[in-house]
Amino acid sequence: MQENLLKEIFNVLNFDSIVSILVESFWLWQFLGRLHPMLVHFPVGLLCIALLLEGLSWFRKSTELRPGINALLWIGTISAILAAGLGLILVNQEDYAGQGVTIHQWAGISTMVLAILTLAALRTGRLTLYRGLLVLTVVGVSVAGHYGAMLTHGDDYLSSVLPFGDKSGLPKSSDATVAFASFNTGQPLTGKQVAELNLEVRSILAHNCYSCHSETKTKGELRLDRKELIFKGGKHGVILKTGHPEDSEIIRRISLPADHKESMPTKGKHLNEKEIALLSLWIKAGAPWPDGPEKSLYRVAALAPRLPVLPPATVDITNPIDRLVNAYFHTNKVQWKSVVDDHTYIRRVYLDIIGLIPTPAQIQVFEANTRPDKREALVKQLLARNDDYAQHWLTFWNDALRNDYSGTGYITKGRFDITNWLYASLKKNKPYNWFVRELISPNEESAGFIKGIKWRGTINASQRTEMQAAQNVAQVLLGLNLKCASCHDSFVSDWKLADAYAFANIFADTTLEINRCDKPTGKLAGRRILYKELGTISVDAPTEQRLRELADFLVQPKDGRLYRTLVNRVWAQLMGRGIVEPVDVMDNEPWSQDLLDWLAYDFVQNGYDIKKLMYTITTSKTYQLPSVGIKDAGLVTAPTFVFEGMVRRRLTAEQFTDAVSLAFMPVYQDTSLVKMLPPAMHKSIPFARASLVKNDPFQTALGRPNRETVSTSRTSQANLLQALELTNGTTFTETLKRGAERWKAQYPTTDSLVTALYRQSLGRNPQPKELAVARKMLGKESRVEGIEDLVWAISLHPEFQLIY
Amino acid sequence: MTNNWNRREFLQKTSAATLAALAAGAPVASLVSGCAGNAKTTRRGTADTVILLWMAGGMAHTETFDPKRFTPYTTGMEGNRVLSTFKSVPTVLDGIHFSDGLQSIGKVMDRGTLIRSYVAADMGHILHSRHQYNWHTCYEPPQTVAAPHIGAWIANQLGPKNPVIPAFIDIGQRFTLGEGEELKAFHTSGFLGNEFGPFFIPDPSQGMESVRPPVGMDARRFERRNQLYNELIKNGPVGEFGSDYQKESLRQSMEQAYRLLKSPEAKAFDLSSEPKASYDIYNTGRFGLGCLMARRLTEQGARFISVTTEYEPFKGWDTHENGHTRMENMKCQIDGPIAQLILDLEKTGHLDRTLVILASEFSRDMMVEGRPDATVREQVNQPDVLNDPKFYGMHRHFTDGCSVLMFGGGVKKGSVYGKTADERPCKTIENPIHIDGLHQTIYHALGIDPETQYEVEKRPFYTTPDGKGKAVMDLLV
Repeated sequence: MQENLLKEIFNVLNFDSIVSILVESFWLWQFLGRLHPMLVHFPVGLLCIALLLEGLSWFRKSTELRPGINALLWIGTISAILAAGLGLILVNQEDYAGQGVTIHQWAGISTMVLAILTLAALRTGRLTLYRGLLVLTVVGVSVAGHYGAMLTHGDDYLSSVLPFGDKSGLPKSSDATVAFASFNTGQPLTGKQVAELNLEVRSILAHNCYSCHSETKTKGELRLDRKELIFKGGKHGVILKTGHPEDSEIIRRISLPADHKESMPTKGKHLNEKEIALLSLWIKAGAPWPDGPEKSLYRVAALAPRLPVLPPATVDITNPIDRLVNAYFHTNKVQWKSVVDDHTYIRRVYLDIIGLIPTPAQIQVFEANTRPDKREALVKQLLARNDDYAQHWLTFWNDALRNDYSGTGYITKGRFDITNWLYASLKKNKPYNWFVRELISPNEESAGFIKGIKWRGTINASQRTEMQAAQNVAQVLLGLNLKCASCHDSFVSDWKLADAYAFANIFADTTLEINRCDKPTGKLAGRRILYKELGTISVDAPTEQRLRELADFLVQPKDGRLYRTLVNRVWAQLMGRGIVEPVDVMDNEPWSQDLLDWLAYDFVQNGYDIKKLMYTITTSKTYQLPSVGIKDAGLVTAPTFVFEGMVRRRLTAEQFTDAVSLAFMPVYQDTSLVKMLPPAMHKSIPFARASLVKNDPFQTALGRPNRETVSTSRTSQANLLQALELTNGTTFTETLKRGAERWKAQYPTTDSLVTALYRQSLGRNPQPKELAVARKMLGKESRVEGIEDLVWAISLHPEFQLIY
Repeated sequence: MTNNWNRREFLQKTSAATLAALAAGAPVASLVSGCAGNAKTTRRGTADTVILLWMAGGMAHTETFDPKRFTPYTTGMEGNRVLSTFKSVPTVLDGIHFSDGLQSIGKVMDRGTLIRSYVAADMGHILHSRHQYNWHTCYEPPQTVAAPHIGAWIANQLGPKNPVIPAFIDIGQRFTLGEGEELKAFHTSGFLGNEFGPFFIPDPSQGMESVRPPVGMDARRFERRNQLYNELIKNGPVGEFGSDYQKESLRQSMEQAYRLLKSPEAKAFDLSSEPKASYDIYNTGRFGLGCLMARRLTEQGARFISVTTEYEPFKGWDTHENGHTRMENMKCQIDGPIAQLILDLEKTGHLDRTLVILASEFSRDMMVEGRPDATVREQVNQPDVLNDPKFYGMHRHFTDGCSVLMFGGGVKKGSVYGKTADERPCKTIENPIHIDGLHQTIYHALGIDPETQYEVEKRPFYTTPDGKGKAVMDLLV
């Protein structure tokens, strides 16, 4: 039997090609092949245990374990044979190649042979030979297993977790490098890898070489910024030989020591090892560079609006958002959960629409209401609270339009606020197309946004106010990063320096000269809109007219990008995570293109009405799903994100402050309200809301950004400085003191006080255990200090701190 | 950085060592603890702590650490004749003189390096806060993203040295003064995130306020309050608020704050516990006390401390009139405390791994505004002929030659680097050093890679613009 088996095995080995033909694309083969990993663990384990028991027998000089060992060896050997067979099927069926596979394959086969021989030795009673062979078999199992693990988990699966290691070779600091790991196996790169490799290469070239070897300056007649020119080479001939970095002039020159006279770059820092290695890798891979327009390298989102076909409604899924999310859930195997209860819903929707927590009375009325459409009615009612709504959303827009009540620039009249205009626009729910129009083609009150911040003295060319306008309009309104391209051709998108300047030049009274990395190029900028499909700017018209044109072009319904950007921002505010992330990079892939497109389309159909958009979202089942907690902040924006419901958020600085003000004691006095607002408006302010006071250490600690630059999302993460401010900062401590006195006077007994406090702040009664803790703290007669401490503890409680 | 050992190499390289270690009975943990925690740097530097002594407002080099020919005041004299309004006094270093009033620092110069060739950036019409922004972030404002303060970079790269002491502490600056908003723009961790931002102690004599339980709350109550907080969380409804990063980071931060406020190290902020004799040496005002606090914090494991003479327009080093008399006062404030700081750090052995830097955003001159070959618009008109003692002083902003001192942390001892001209314009004529070089030198001493960067909005943002600038190795041992 042994001979037969061996013969069979070797036959198979000798006729690899026959096996390939036999097993070609038949599902069962593939299935069997994939049983290989499962099966190999069996002989591994059994044969090792056999050795262990054998060792034990030898040590004890007894043979009582022998029958067990015998059985183990039999099963182990048969498994090894099966594993080897299935392994051969697997290697032919799927894409395995390389030295590792070969070693693994032969180690596996040797193990099998050794196992068979071991068995034979045992059966023929040659005990010493048997023991020696058994040891060898287990060594074989280990070697085969080790290489198998490398195939499955990667070369550095074991060593990668070690804290020390060889730092030579390609450091793996960038993701791209990791992606290239497979390159060394000799397999062709995937399209995505080619794109990444090319991007890295272009980034290195741009940062280190373009200043002398590109369109504006072409030393040695060499240009490195276009495919055909790279391959053409320079004065001294070709610079690269595809597939052969070692024979490529460019690699030789950049690898020379910095003081060598032929070393490149001659100016600036020398390329580091990683950069040189990447360029070599790229040349070895055939120096891939996409043909034709370079658009293909990056994902570019469609500009035009699109109305997706709505999936059919069902009995309980009628809202278009829900229908689209239903389809998404179906594809991603997400189950619908039941919607949240009234208590959770009212708190969520209050905080999201007007930024305030509901009062106990409001909660009670809502909970008692039995109408089926009460949630819709509540949302309508909240959206109609125009001042409260404006006071809440002012925070978001102040961040985004970097409008602040204090900050750099005001001191030298280099900055203008737009508070009044913004407040009025939000209060009126100005249609978004008009809102944008007035920001770009401004009146006196709204001019601050495009005027930017002007510092005294000379500034970097990429930060002149016209360029700031271009960058901010692009980022905030179009979800587009123009910052790279305002210094040099971008390495992460197709935007060129000339595009950024042409766009900035629309805002300029006198024609701008193009500067590359702050060095004048002697070229004058053109004047055109970033997306030329949207229209042609009258190049020589006065600035005012150009801005009017720009505004008109940008707000056209066919500018789907403007509206997708807006609906995505609103979605991100209400749901804790955008459909596209980061929200400023609208070329990124949305988790549901249909949903994004539908929302943007519907928004335009509905008269650019932001409140209507919010209504549609907040009354959807999707919005009402239980919130989702995320363990690591980085995962929220990760591309692997799967939407399952609103992502839990922390209250913003303003929401937290207002919640304390409302539930307990106003944090700010009316005198803190900013002076920019007309005095008449003070009537419509219930208390000094945080959005209407200047930034201070308290707000800063809680996450209000300094609005020197555009800021479109805030972090939800707490930190030590914030905790210190909340633990002993004067603003909060003073508020607690003032409030405690008043509460003590108002509530004679501890129980009534604690109950009222829980109701005011968390919208519920304290549970018996909580009441017991509070009683212990306050004593019978509610000491003022105890009240302060209790309020402090409640306001730092996750239940108070989170929107859930 | 993850390493790229593969499995095979790992087995090859470690097996022998492993066996040896096991044979020697070493605990297994020792086999995997060969690296320096989560440090992002690959090289151990020569310093662990940085103290920045900030001379806010533009400290004239010819009136401090680089004195030139002294010309006493006479009514009607020509301003152009005046290079220094003080006599020079010898220092401990041969042939090196300081301006009168800095004798104490002169005596400790054998512990440090004097740089006489710092050249500040050329940014046109002078605004102090822009140059300060440039000095502290290495970038010129405005920037498209919020640039981090050097202290924030260091906090980000090295973390706190002692976990209960905030990594970046800023002593002495109030932000309610003129240009306060401009100062805020760079006293920030910017895109690195708030956790690396400065912990402010505006007034060192009130330092304890920032790290003790709120006023009126004794230790017992503070402890009880914290206990209550934990009990309420424990006894509240669970489950629905599950475990997520917001909640977790809140819990950890609150715990950390509580630990700091209770920790013995917090006493470092309490200057009243300093022996009187020592306190008195430092007590020349807020700056002097700031130096004392910096020393105490260094002893307890602070990472980056900035102590400023405080910037306020037309105050401190920002002399636009009465420069001579104002200078006397400023020297009085800094001379004793700085010298004592160096001596104290040396005595406790901390100086070896503490880098102390004294710097200012630019220098001043009586005649030149900006730099000699690129003068800029006057900020405050100055007469060419001095008819009043109030015009006797360095009242214009000068960017072409400034002095910087460095002590400890791997810096050469008793060394002088660079040179300025002995006649007007007293500009740098040897070994100019710019802000990126200075920052790289500091980063080098700390073991922070010169090409350290952070990706923000998909762009690499380096500690120094484009990762350029070279550490000046001549300054280091």
